[in-house]
Amino acid sequence: MENSAIQTLETAAQMLMAPPEMVSSEQRHQAESVFLEFRSTKNPYQLCRELLEKSTSDYVLFEAAGLLKSALIREWSLLSENDISSLREYLLNFLLRRETPPFLREKLLQTIAIIIKRGSIDDGGRERKALIGELENMILSTPINQQKLACSLLLAIMQEYAITVKSADVGLIWEVHFRLKKSFESIDLKRIFRFTVGVLEQIVRSGHRPEGEQALLTKQLLMIVETVLCWSHVSPLLSKRLIGAFEAIYESDTAPALRLSLRWRDTIMQPELIALFFEIHMYVRSNPDLASPSLTCLVQLAGLSGVVVSVGNLKQQYLENYVNSFVNMMAYIQPVEREMLGISDIYRRLVQFFSPQMIASSPPAFLQNLTTLTCTCIRASVVEEVANDDTVWRESLNKFLHTWSSLVHDSDGYSDETLMNPCIEVFNTYLQCRLAPPDGTRGTGPEEEDIKDDVEEDERKLHSNVLLTIGAIARKAPAHCCHVLFTLLQDRSKRLESQLQLMHMGKLPVSSGEQLVSLFEDLHWILMITGHFLAVDCTEGETVMIPSEIITYSIRENANIEASLRYLVGESHSTENVDPILKLVGEILRISAWECAALEAGLGTVFSPELSATISWLLKIWANSYLMPQTSVYSEMSTILECAFGRSSRGVSWVVSRLASRAGACLRHLSAQPAAATQALQLLTTLAHAQHKQNPLASCEEFLNLVAWEAAGNNLPGELRRELHRAFAIAATYAEGDIRNRLLASTVALQEKLMNLINMESDTEPVRNMLADTLDCFIGVTEGVLEVGTMDEQFMMLIGALDKIPGIIFRYHNYPGVVLPALNLLAKSAKRMLHSVQPQNVNKFLEVCNTTFEVYMRWNSGKISSIPQDAEEEAYEDICALMEVICCIARSGAQRTTNGGTVGVGETCARGLRLLLPLITPALLALPTLAHHAYRMLRDLDAAEQLTTLPIEDYNMVVTALRVGLTAVSYDVSTLCCDTIVGLSNKARTLGDDNPYALSLLTLAELLLMLIIKMEIPPDSIPAAGAAIYALTCVKPALLEGLARQLIEAFAVNDPASVPRLEEAFGILTNGVLFDGLRPHKLRFQDNFDKFLASVHGFLIVK
Amino acid sequence: MGDIEDTHFETGDSGASATFPMQCSALRKNGFVMLKGRPCKIVEMSTSKTGKHGHAKVHLVGIDIFNGKKYEDICPSTHNMDVPHVKREDYQLTDISDDGYLTLMADNGDLREDLKIPDGDLGTQLRSDFDSGKELLCTVLKSCGEECVIAVKANTALDK
Repeated sequence: MENSAIQTLETAAQMLMAPPEMVSSEQRHQAESVFLEFRSTKNPYQLCRELLEKSTSDYVLFEAAGLLKSALIREWSLLSENDISSLREYLLNFLLRRETPPFLREKLLQTIAIIIKRGSIDDGGRERKALIGELENMILSTPINQQKLACSLLLAIMQEYAITVKSADVGLIWEVHFRLKKSFESIDLKRIFRFTVGVLEQIVRSGHRPEGEQALLTKQLLMIVETVLCWSHVSPLLSKRLIGAFEAIYESDTAPALRLSLRWRDTIMQPELIALFFEIHMYVRSNPDLASPSLTCLVQLAGLSGVVVSVGNLKQQYLENYVNSFVNMMAYIQPVEREMLGISDIYRRLVQFFSPQMIASSPPAFLQNLTTLTCTCIRASVVEEVANDDTVWRESLNKFLHTWSSLVHDSDGYSDETLMNPCIEVFNTYLQCRLAPPDGTRGTGPEEEDIKDDVEEDERKLHSNVLLTIGAIARKAPAHCCHVLFTLLQDRSKRLESQLQLMHMGKLPVSSGEQLVSLFEDLHWILMITGHFLAVDCTEGETVMIPSEIITYSIRENANIEASLRYLVGESHSTENVDPILKLVGEILRISAWECAALEAGLGTVFSPELSATISWLLKIWANSYLMPQTSVYSEMSTILECAFGRSSRGVSWVVSRLASRAGACLRHLSAQPAAATQALQLLTTLAHAQHKQNPLASCEEFLNLVAWEAAGNNLPGELRRELHRAFAIAATYAEGDIRNRLLASTVALQEKLMNLINMESDTEPVRNMLADTLDCFIGVTEGVLEVGTMDEQFMMLIGALDKIPGIIFRYHNYPGVVLPALNLLAKSAKRMLHSVQPQNVNKFLEVCNTTFEVYMRWNSGKISSIPQDAEEEAYEDICALMEVICCIARSGAQRTTNGGTVGVGETCARGLRLLLPLITPALLALPTLAHHAYRMLRDLDAAEQLTTLPIEDYNMVVTALRVGLTAVSYDVSTLCCDTIVGLSNKARTLGDDNPYALSLLTLAELLLMLIIKMEIPPDSIPAAGAAIYALTCVKPALLEGLARQLIEAFAVNDPASVPRLEEAFGILTNGVLFDGLRPHKLRFQDNFDKFLASVHGFLIVK
Repeated sequence: MGDIEDTHFETGDSGASATFPMQCSALRKNGFVMLKGRPCKIVEMSTSKTGKHGHAKVHLVGIDIFNGKKYEDICPSTHNMDVPHVKREDYQLTDISDDGYLTLMADNGDLREDLKIPDGDLGTQLRSDFDSGKELLCTVLKSCGEECVIAVKANTALDK
């Protein structure tokens, strides 16, 4: 019989593996079904053995191994101890006597490992211990290929025990996985480590070069040691979620820190051990395959922590021991490219895990090596950037800089004096790499290539990580760095000035020659470095302090105030007795002024937009810290900085007007250059935010001119105009009196423009474009309203625009380009303002929404009732926007309820929902974005308790929509549905189980349970689904029992063997749980639910 | 975008210009533009530049609003592009002739019989919906002298 079975399988395998033109699709399907059936074979052990012995088809062998594994998991509880151990022995024997291809070997090794792991539940690891002993003997004595096999099996066993939260497919719940892992960890892990290190020591001492088979064995041994050192030693006291997070680290690229318990002290603290690992690395480093795991071991050992080193000066001893071996190795070797990442990681870990004082007491060579290696990395990474084929150097540099960052920020580590010279060396090297010869070594990049603009690729963001640390390093030697930067800026700004003047006078052709481009690039880099030296880049709206080193430096220089201020504003060119920081700022402002002059003189086509963006960026981050600093938060403050930029100082209004005028010039002349215009706008927004410190922006003429310029109309792209209005609104929020009115004029002008457009007879493309733009600008206004205190007033101005929306949608219903911004404006206003305006204003807003809903439905219900098969999501963006409006209203309503006093919010939501519900058809829900929006809306409305107030017919439609959503393949939709069901059930429980709402909801239970059992719900939604089942059962406690009975009866017909196990599983599920909806029982049910799933999936599912 | 006063409004009906100029950087995604002489809907817009210190160019990808063909163009962001006047109007479908022409009634009661049943899925759906007796509204897209039905919806607002 077996022979014919082998025959059938081999023929089917041939079909499957045949080229497409050789077999018909029917034959292929038939072959597939042969294997599908094969995979669910019961008690297949004998058959599989036959196949392994006799079959010559790789595919059949692979399938047989797979079936063996899944059958073992499925039928574990039905197998006797003897069956299992004979199977294990057979498999090991099979592997020892047969040369097997890797795919088969790995699968069979994994099967043995699973047997060992499951077996250790009952015998406490006895079998495992014996097997490991056998394997050790094999490694010590038998021929080399058996040694390798033994290593592979050790690795497979370790792999099987390593992960717990994600090891679901062995049919155990994670608590058991975790317990097994802990037991393995405490009994065998250290033993394996010591044994393997011992073998490695013998190999190293033998003096033979690792070549051929011997190299492969060494690699496997190194991998075993690596696995031990990368093991995630998780504390059993943590919650499952945290353990999951730790294991996610284990699976990622960076291994978790080596955190060992007391048990390891005798092993890991042996002084020779660290030296041995360095010796191993020196021995294998010429072979890349071997060097990688050995370097990982060194990296892991650099981060030793935990109880093992917590007593006395053990930690100090360990570090000294490690650093000595490390420095010795570095004196002996010249690291190659592929070693850099590991070496940089060693530095990073040492600095991360050992205290700054300990690090600072290392031998001087430690810091010297770090400096030299960092400089090497800087040079190589700049070259790598241009070639752009690899990232090794850049990644290593990042790690080195990480180390530097800790060194320069830890005040109790290295002294400033010790750090000064190394810092100067790193700073100089970086600067040189970025400058063109003769000052620097920059090569020419690919100049004429087209560069795609991308937000991620923004130059200033791309390099910000590196520059942030270079800036911090530079501040450790402020006198040197400030002087160098000033000298360079002065030189380049003079060159720029003369070039631009010559062009303006027509003595130089107006084309961006190579020389000019090189000058732009120099300035771009000097300014980026200067920016990070002076201030810290951060997100909008967050005020950052002036770095303390800068303040100290300015105080120490003790320059003359008058001379400094005169230099800053350009009244004097003498740098004598001028504060160095002011000198630097003065030079930057001069370069900015030159650019603006060039733009006004029509040289906009010559000047680099990238450089313009960098200047605006620098001024933005500078202004954020230096303009009107809050002196009370500083422990010391430089008098000169305060005189120049402090509140109501002489310098501040001058600086603000320069900056505003710069932003204006850039917006007027560079509106078509995205990077330059965006940065200029961000500079303006930063100034507007600083308005709360009563800065003179709002009263500065340059800013008010910008308001007038925008009101008069211009060429600015839509999204930039929106941002501009946001900046106006932010400034207006903080302004008072007449100034405020002048700023609000921008909104008034928008209002007038909107009225003009609406009243216009002709309905043409330009009108519609302008209408969309104007609506977008209003969105900018709503986004800029920040203070609750002024919200009502600004809302009153907005409502004039909002109440035009129904009319606009009526007239332009066929033009999504207009309808979308109109609906978005409604949603944004609801989100930003509705929660804190006066009730009468809320009512006005809700009226607008009600009318909008009706107008929208009047035109669109027909469109949505017939959705073509090939529908594109884009065509239904307006429905998403409408759902967003409802969500925003519901959320604001929920907030108001908690604040006390609610208005017609619920009614409007219900009205919107009633209109929308008939449109939420399965065809519409098949579009992923729409489904996401729809279910998020239902969840939000449920959270705001708006669903249970619906009439029963509408409620039934909600339930139908949930039914569709549960079967969705996407994780977020099914989770949203389950969350909604929980909310609805909690409400329904109070109504009683014969209430029509409850009855309607309960119809979902059967579907949900079936989906869970058949694993047809996305795995990440399982916890939410469990909560939903519990919540539903709380509505009607007999529900679950009834469903279980139904299910078991169905099984009794088709699969009677599974009935007892199913009964048992349901017993587990409800064991000790009360369906009272209270937290203790909810949690107990979740625990039971996990066990239930592990048990049911163990025997029902063939994976 | 220019101010209202600066723009000449032409409806496109009177034989006047079928397009108007607009600065390339002010175009928006999902808006319209003429690419290779055809009215297109912009489906992709990205900027690039020649060298780090070069000036921005806009790369436009558009779909012909009538035949669905894809066109691309690249243009300095400061230059003007032509934007087509586009109109969408709803008509009630009253009949389909044997040779595939639609009888459409405008809001004011005017009848027209010069448009054919559209190609593809939309046409198939239109015919089957009409045959099953549904009241239908056809959205007619008009630009650069061309017209065609681009969407069909159930007429749920017969009272309007």
